Amino acid sequence: MNKALMTVSALGLALAGMTGTALAAPDWSKVAVRKVAVFHPGASGLEWVMKGTEHGGAKGTKKGERCTGCHENEKTMNIDIAADRILAGEKLEPKPVKGRVPIIMVNVQAANDGSNLYLRFNWKEPAGKAAVMDKDNPVKLAVMFEDNKVVYKDDKGKEVEIGLAAGCWGTCHTDARTMPGADDKKTKYVTGASLASGNYYDLIQWKSGKGGKAADGYVADKRVMEGGKALVSAEGKKDGDTWTVTFTRKLAGGGEGDIAMVSGKSYNMGFAIHNDHSAGRFHHVSLGYSLGIDAKADITAAK
Amino acid sequence: MVASNWWAKLRSPSVKYSLLTLSGVGFISGILFWGGFNTGMEATNQLEFCISCHEMKDNVYQEYTKTIHYSNRTGVRAVCSDCHVPKDWTHKMIRKIQASGEVWGKITGSIDTREKFEAKRLQLARSEWARMKASDSRECRNCHSFDGMDEEKQINRAAKQHANARRDNMTCIDCHKGIAHNKPEGMTEDEAGG
Repeated sequence: MNKALMTVSALGLALAGMTGTALAAPDWSKVAVRKVAVFHPGASGLEWVMKGTEHGGAKGTKKGERCTGCHENEKTMNIDIAADRILAGEKLEPKPVKGRVPIIMVNVQAANDGSNLYLRFNWKEPAGKAAVMDKDNPVKLAVMFEDNKVVYKDDKGKEVEIGLAAGCWGTCHTDARTMPGADDKKTKYVTGASLASGNYYDLIQWKSGKGGKAADGYVADKRVMEGGKALVSAEGKKDGDTWTVTFTRKLAGGGEGDIAMVSGKSYNMGFAIHNDHSAGRFHHVSLGYSLGIDAKADITAAK
Repeated sequence: MVASNWWAKLRSPSVKYSLLTLSGVGFISGILFWGGFNTGMEATNQLEFCISCHEMKDNVYQEYTKTIHYSNRTGVRAVCSDCHVPKDWTHKMIRKIQASGEVWGKITGSIDTREKFEAKRLQLARSEWARMKASDSRECRNCHSFDGMDEEKQINRAAKQHANARRDNMTCIDCHKGIAHNKPEGMTEDEAGG
């Protein structure tokens, strides 16, 4: 099916109607595009990122510097990470992957209408085919947000604003499932997580399989794929060789694990694409980016 | 008695040779001595000399040959002494005298097996890191300098890290450990520059 249209109108559509929220989807042709590289990260969990004997950038991260500062080329938006060597198993990957690309460039757009945040991801499906890990879903896309409150303690006990510095890496630990030697039941988590203090990530996900499915959850002391009430819709489609996934999310949130977003503020986000039937850590992930609601940021959602 | 005669003879003026002859012979002998000394000194600075011991050849040399200081686009090679022996005479002499202790290590076989070498690698590395730190990475700076770096031509993370290092008054070896040899097991986060 060349033009597979897979739409999810998760419950949210009905909720939107009930609350009178207008689904004024933006004219995407007029919204600025921010290129973001997603890459195969291997087994580079947060513990590796923070370990200076392994990762030369750890000293910067411990000072709160952002991954993008060193790893993203501000002109090309490509990343300076040897994802090809990771994929080939030369470093950080005990299970080399054949038939997959190391980096995918994604066009990211964002907008808001005062009630909803709209996020659009658009990328060309890369060539190649690796072993199927998730037979039900050729593609999945997950986005995590946090409200500048996620912290992680370094080896000296100093708190680092890891959500700001490293995006999703705040949830990615070397003892979580699919990591080498890890417990297969242990999901992503935030160290010292607390929904009350804001030390957690909000999570939304779109899956391509079985007509499309969406989830609105969060990552605190474990990953929970339900409880959120912010996601209005998640839609995905493939035109030719290009995937487009669009999320509509209530700015105000409202459910468990939903962060409330307001105009004029920026938040931290990261996203991951499970491309080519991949699963677990074998995804392509972005570094951490700021998302501004009518505010200047890496990705700005303007009205 | 004999010694004092010999000393007196040395101190008494020559009755046989002219001042010119004595000065000439002294000058030429000095050149020969100095030339020989320096040649010997230079010989011990050659890569071939360093790897004439299997302790170096089988361990650190093998690691070094896989790094950019051994093989690179421009063909400029930094050999052992470029990093491990100072260039200026005073510091070179001090280092050479210190290195004579390594001869004792060779005689006693302190690192004559792979196992012994690995067991001592961290101690050896720490000793060299401390020497480099104390000299503000003098040997690195024989070739590299912050002023000579064109940040526009560096990849982002290099430019960023060097800007941070400059700001924090760091020295090359603070970060650049394990660039020519494997990092030792057991090095601490502080030693990693964190």
